[in-house]
Amino acid sequence: MTQDTIVVENLSYHYGKILAVDNINFRVARQEILGFLGPNGAGKSTTVKVLTGQLRPQEGHATLLGMDITKDIERVQAQMGVCFEQPNLYEQMSALENLELFARLFNMKTFDGYALLKKVGLEGREKDRVANYSKGMKQRLMVARSLVNQAEILFLDEPTSGLDPVSADSIRNLILQERERGATIFLTTHDMWEADKLCNRVAFLNQGKIAALDTPHTLKQQYGQRSLVVEISRNGQFEERTVTLDKSETPDTVRELFSREKVVTVHSQEATLEDIFLKITGRRLTA
Amino acid sequence: MSAHLIMTLIKKDLKLFTRNQFYFIMTIVGLVLYIGMYFVMPKTMDETMKLGIYAPGMPLIENSLVNDEGIEAKSFSTLEELREAVLKNEYPVAIALPEDLLTRLAEGEKPIVTVYLSSSTTEEMKGAITALVKQLAFLATGQDMPLEMRSEVLGPDLLGAQIPWRDRLIPMMAIMILGTEILSLAALISTEVEQNTVSALLVTPLKLHHLFTAKAILGIGLAFIQVLLFMVVVGGLSHEILTMTLVLFIGSILVTGSGFLVASLARDMMGVTSWGMLLMIIFFIPALGGMMPGILSGWAKVLPSYHLVDAISRLSNYGASFNDISGHVLIMLGWSALFTISGVLTLRRRYR
Repeated sequence: MTQDTIVVENLSYHYGKILAVDNINFRVARQEILGFLGPNGAGKSTTVKVLTGQLRPQEGHATLLGMDITKDIERVQAQMGVCFEQPNLYEQMSALENLELFARLFNMKTFDGYALLKKVGLEGREKDRVANYSKGMKQRLMVARSLVNQAEILFLDEPTSGLDPVSADSIRNLILQERERGATIFLTTHDMWEADKLCNRVAFLNQGKIAALDTPHTLKQQYGQRSLVVEISRNGQFEERTVTLDKSETPDTVRELFSREKVVTVHSQEATLEDIFLKITGRRLTA
Repeated sequence: MSAHLIMTLIKKDLKLFTRNQFYFIMTIVGLVLYIGMYFVMPKTMDETMKLGIYAPGMPLIENSLVNDEGIEAKSFSTLEELREAVLKNEYPVAIALPEDLLTRLAEGEKPIVTVYLSSSTTEEMKGAITALVKQLAFLATGQDMPLEMRSEVLGPDLLGAQIPWRDRLIPMMAIMILGTEILSLAALISTEVEQNTVSALLVTPLKLHHLFTAKAILGIGLAFIQVLLFMVVVGGLSHEILTMTLVLFIGSILVTGSGFLVASLARDMMGVTSWGMLLMIIFFIPALGGMMPGILSGWAKVLPSYHLVDAISRLSNYGASFNDISGHVLIMLGWSALFTISGVLTLRRRYR
């Protein structure tokens, strides 16, 4: 039986008259990766701030690991790791010193900073000052810092932002490893491909409300339109034809294409999360 | 657990402090500079007035001046030699009495006495010489001055105990050393906000009160160690050691509170520098009073550092005891509490 690690009920938060989070409800199971998607200003950061104890909920309540965040935030924080979107590292300290500082704050008795830095691909640069790191290296160190205390819950805000494809992929693998270890992961990202690949479920946040919450597959089934992209060759020229699936006339259309045209390639195509977000909210995820 | 968190933060801040080249070097260089300045300055006051005399045929006057305490007088045989000595500034002041001085005085006439002054002689010295010449006239004629003299000392009685400049500067130097820590502490706090490292800290078991306590301990510690070291080296702890140590400790609390206030007012490092320098200048004003008594008006007493300067000055230079400066201690504690509380409350609101 899966146990819900994060339970959020009727949570609201407003800055003055601006309602940033509007009565949201969701649950995240143990070892689940929940993608929290939404454009800038949708309320993602505020939700994360409330759940990580940086802001106190004004309405509703949330429990993490069965503990109320308003009453047991210190115990909850001891069990969570947070990776912020913007690098907030001690630049005049080395990567190793940064990690060791946080390991001491979490009172970790045994901590191997070298091993953790190797995991994020920073081996050999452990004692370099962070000020001399590239943006991508800082981002990897941010991820490493969130893993210092082997947290039960990880809040990762754009963890692959600014990374080259190889580094981003290694971080994604690390996230999957953390899930295998037993961590529950709350992932905020703009990268729909990443959300699709990593997340068990995704929540679409729009104007402070959750517009949709389900597995990427179900959302695509429910809101997306599957199609075939057929490339044909006609008089030495290449042309593309798109055939919408799930329609009664689809088999005939496909059969006709294959019999009458010289088909070069056929690709199935399904709606992206970006398309679905647009369909549900009428807004784009990225500007 | 709390002590462990606070110690971890203090170690981290100490590391960052030593790696901030500007503030670290400023602190070390400042300390060395102030100690150096102290020892370079003369340790005694030059209380002797050098006076040249040309008084032909008047050995009584010459002898009385030569033997007078506080005057290093030399008799010149010719007027030309006297003028030459003044021109070379070997004797900044000289008096030439006319040969017929006594005859003229006896006849009730006004003899002309020429006073030669070098260009560097102050107005005060001119006044003193005029009085001296009149006294010499009475000495020469053997008449007592028909005056009854009374003396009243206003302010600290320095009579017979002139304080060397370097000792007068001790409170000022102490203020400068402490003032530097306003900037250092404010910079440490402000950087934490500016680089948003505070958010990373506050999602760990560490809480704001741990953070403020660690910063306060570090601020007080850095300021206190430096100013104490300075006072030990310059001999400022030779009298009322415990009271002076207490005053310096409270002074360290005062500048730490000021550091919190500056950090709460500033949005970035530029703000820290601007607000910090402003506060340092305000802190410095009462130190001028320590160097030049009487220069400050009563309003200077409302400045928080006045009480620190006056307490240090009285303890180190005028032999004061705890009872004499206990009022200052209380007022400094009040200012420290006001600065710290207002700074911490503002910062707390900003962090949240």
